[in-house]
Amino acid sequence: MSTVNRACTAAVAVAALAFCVGTAQGQEVSGAATTVAKPMSANLVPITGDMLQKAAADPKNWIHSNGNYDNTRYYPGAQINAANVGKLKPAFVFQTAVLESMETAPIVINGVMFLTTSFNHVYAIYAVTGEEFWHYKHKMGPITTYCCGPNNRGVAVEGGTLFMGTLDAKLVALEAKTGKVLWETQIADPDKGYSETMAPVVVDGKVLIGTNGGEYGVRGFVKAFDAKDGKLLWTFYSIPEKGHEGVWAVNDATGRDMHRDIAAEKAAFAKDSSFYQTLGGGVWMTPAVDLKTKTVFFVAGNPSPDLYGAIRPGDNLYTNSMVAIDLDKGTYKWHSQYIAHDVWDLDAVSPVILTQAKDKSGKMVDVAIHGGKTGHVYIHERGTGNLIRFSEAMVPQENMWVLPTKTGARMLPGANGGVEWSPMAINPKLRMTYAANLHQPMTYHVEEAPYPGGSKLWLGGAFKTIPGEEQSGRLVAVNLDTGKVAWSHKTPQPLIGGVLATAGDIVFNGEANGWFKAFDAKTGKELWKYNCGAGVNAPAVSYMVNGKQYVAVAAGGNNQIDAKRGNSVFVFALN
Amino acid sequence: MRGESEPPMSFHRILFAAFSFLVLDAAAQSGPPPDPSIKDKVETCVACHGPGGNSTSGAFPVLAGQNARYIYLELRDFKEGRRKDPSMDPIAAPLTQAEMLALADYFSKQKQTPTGFVADAAKVAAGRKKSDEVLCPMCHQGEFVGQNEIPRVTGQHYEYIKKQLADFKAKRRTNDAGNMTSVAGTLSDADIENLAQYIANLN
Repeated sequence: MSTVNRACTAAVAVAALAFCVGTAQGQEVSGAATTVAKPMSANLVPITGDMLQKAAADPKNWIHSNGNYDNTRYYPGAQINAANVGKLKPAFVFQTAVLESMETAPIVINGVMFLTTSFNHVYAIYAVTGEEFWHYKHKMGPITTYCCGPNNRGVAVEGGTLFMGTLDAKLVALEAKTGKVLWETQIADPDKGYSETMAPVVVDGKVLIGTNGGEYGVRGFVKAFDAKDGKLLWTFYSIPEKGHEGVWAVNDATGRDMHRDIAAEKAAFAKDSSFYQTLGGGVWMTPAVDLKTKTVFFVAGNPSPDLYGAIRPGDNLYTNSMVAIDLDKGTYKWHSQYIAHDVWDLDAVSPVILTQAKDKSGKMVDVAIHGGKTGHVYIHERGTGNLIRFSEAMVPQENMWVLPTKTGARMLPGANGGVEWSPMAINPKLRMTYAANLHQPMTYHVEEAPYPGGSKLWLGGAFKTIPGEEQSGRLVAVNLDTGKVAWSHKTPQPLIGGVLATAGDIVFNGEANGWFKAFDAKTGKELWKYNCGAGVNAPAVSYMVNGKQYVAVAAGGNNQIDAKRGNSVFVFALN
Repeated sequence: MRGESEPPMSFHRILFAAFSFLVLDAAAQSGPPPDPSIKDKVETCVACHGPGGNSTSGAFPVLAGQNARYIYLELRDFKEGRRKDPSMDPIAAPLTQAEMLALADYFSKQKQTPTGFVADAAKVAAGRKKSDEVLCPMCHQGEFVGQNEIPRVTGQHYEYIKKQLADFKAKRRTNDAGNMTSVAGTLSDADIENLAQYIANLN
């Protein structure tokens, strides 16, 4: 995971990252009272497996954080479209009681919206007026460890139950009707640097969830819990006990030399290869699931410590890789690594999308794609992981792969990307994927640092932004079949939050300066904008109630790039 | 229990005793009382670190007002051997996680009192300049109040600050995840002296 708050990027990344770490004490909001307690809507129905599987074709509901099991974030309705989006107006604004970074993707079921905030509050509201049904506040344990804000990215739903991961590394099941806790289970030890911010995914009665902690020396994983009672069903470690040294790759996935001293690494590895328990590889964004082949796809984050590689010789598998595992057993199927032995924190984060694209011979095939911090979109054959192509760079790249030094070596992109955790969206008709990118020139610094014992930030150096060098964002459309950039929209600040595409051939994206914008999906022409008054750094969702389409997005700002904080979800519709 | 033969207290002595008691009591209760489960542990701590964690000796750091997160992690490091000190090692060894958290909570809520350090104005100025140059406030914040795992150092004992910087520089203390050893490696003995003067003089 990589994340640096702007205050910290301004000088020493180490510093600002640190202030996001804390005990639960004193962090909370005051006056978190509830506005109303309207009786729960009778329209709230249990979500069946069939509904979850067919979500991609259901314009009424938004029941996966990324729209469907394929994570396409492609909304199938077209009532709001490129021709009329200019008339979009706010329908209501829902204010939470928590003024802090919002990264939530609301879930909507028959007009009932479930949204989350920092510090693991959940609200159930009426998705037409914003009236509140219930408000749940997680009782936080005494220890929480997280690098980049007390974020939460949303709930998953199955049957009548919501599932949320918490900052104190628990999985909580809530009754959707009332917000009552049905069960909770400890996923991992927060005192060792584990925490949860991702939205889980539920499939076939299993709740799948990974972990944060790549900055703290965790051993990453994806775990499956029984949706009924929270019992652990299987664990797949993103760091294998044996074989994490890999193939001693010289080049990255795009064929560029990473300047590794393989001989020195091999010698170090021969002396000590026992570091797998602290090698990182957090899996902190929602996996994609292919029900046809019963396969779970995700990307694994950076090795720990981020910049000091000498202490962890080898390719550090499966860090910085796309990984496919068996849904029923959690067993390995394949992996494809982007950067072996990463020392830049340019890890793989943005959720995998399952779609189709032309292979090298021009035949349309099933693919799994990922938007990287490197600024490339990587397109893999879904059954084998073979890399079919990678896109043109979406952001400037310079001096790759210069090794970090004590005094700092400049390289682009900076450690936040490219594409950070922000989910991409696709438009299959137009053959495009849309990615929110950052451009932050940085210098990379290395510092010798033994494992500090968990839950202490362990970067092994720092990444620093460069005073005087402009930072910006890029919303970029990439052709899936060619890898060419179709269009690009520059923004004044780096982009974090994620994209929504719709069958109305619009792309929605938010900015740190409060603008929430709609673009023509084909050309990138800006069609509409609205200023939400706080950073729009969350992915938008869309749904219909009583035949009317709505678009919802959180405007809570962002800890990582220090975008102005807010506490609201804005919901838009045509009059 | 007082012996039968001890003469009764004079009025002045009674007054003095009462006054002393009030003073001591005020110092000891510079914040909320400890959880009953750690009362005896707090007594052990304050024997060196002073009532409420306001130590009067530069050999022992002031704990009053220190960030709870930092106190907890240091106790954990003493217990698990990542930080070493002949006095602290045996004290931390038997502590449970709950006790360490409760102790951290207690001392973090006590009010810090000035140590009475008398600084050299020229050294303070030089220390302030050095602090800005090596970006101390990026982590420790302005006025060195700290945040979460980054300690509060404002008004800490001059001798203690000086020793820690020297220990980081010489890598005798290495439980900092590399951040302080990196910065301290660039400091001269004069820099350390000036920084200690500057920070100890903050209030």
